[in-house]
Amino acid sequence: MSDRVYEILFIADPNLGEPEVDALTAQVQGFVEKEGGRIQKTEKWGKKRLAYSVGRHREGYYVLVVAEGGGALVHEVERRLRVMDGVVRYLAVRVDDELRRAERRKARRTADEEKRRARRGAGPREPEGVQP
Amino acid sequence: MSSETGHSEDGRGGRGSRSGGGAGPRGARDAGGGGKRFFFRRRKVCRFCMDKIDYIDYKDVKLISSFAPERGKILPRRMFGTCAEHQRKLTLAIKRARHIALLPFAAD
Repeated sequence: MSDRVYEILFIADPNLGEPEVDALTAQVQGFVEKEGGRIQKTEKWGKKRLAYSVGRHREGYYVLVVAEGGGALVHEVERRLRVMDGVVRYLAVRVDDELRRAERRKARRTADEEKRRARRGAGPREPEGVQP
Repeated sequence: MSSETGHSEDGRGGRGSRSGGGAGPRGARDAGGGGKRFFFRRRKVCRFCMDKIDYIDYKDVKLISSFAPERGKILPRRMFGTCAEHQRKLTLAIKRARHIALLPFAAD
């Protein structure tokens, strides 16, 4: 089974200090690793205003963790995030298939363009034939 | 009341038939006489196709929020000319962004 890629984005309590957020992030990374996943990258977005109030918070500390692993991984990570204090909200999304599809489409498009250009080059009377 | 409108009322009168209904002779004539549309619509092309965006990321708030302005409602396709495929992806992205409080559900 090839590994999947998940984006785990969570909002930490804005009242927590920087070190606490780091600890929280480390905890999440710990879950991922314990489940046999790999961390691809971690991004701290910092404090941002929430678009609406969640609980009684008006802002939150956003942290993004991109991890690679099996389906059981997200399951476990989500379960943990749900019960963690200091996590206001989380979102785990699988991204590998979508990204792969996008990649393939891009490849196909460039190939098509190449082909079209070649055909145009080969065609004797195409270049400036009809102009609207 | 002119004789013309009188004829158009029963619909079959030779002269009246042109103006159609005859309910509003003025309006009918305007629409007929105008012929072509004087307002003319720019052809809308899907912005994601134009910019060749294959993956609409829910984290890209700046891009997405332009399709969910003000009240945070998702704009219908007819407003922006988004193609079906991209509209679908956009919708999903907006919904994800809403969940994680990057976009509002409904502005207050």
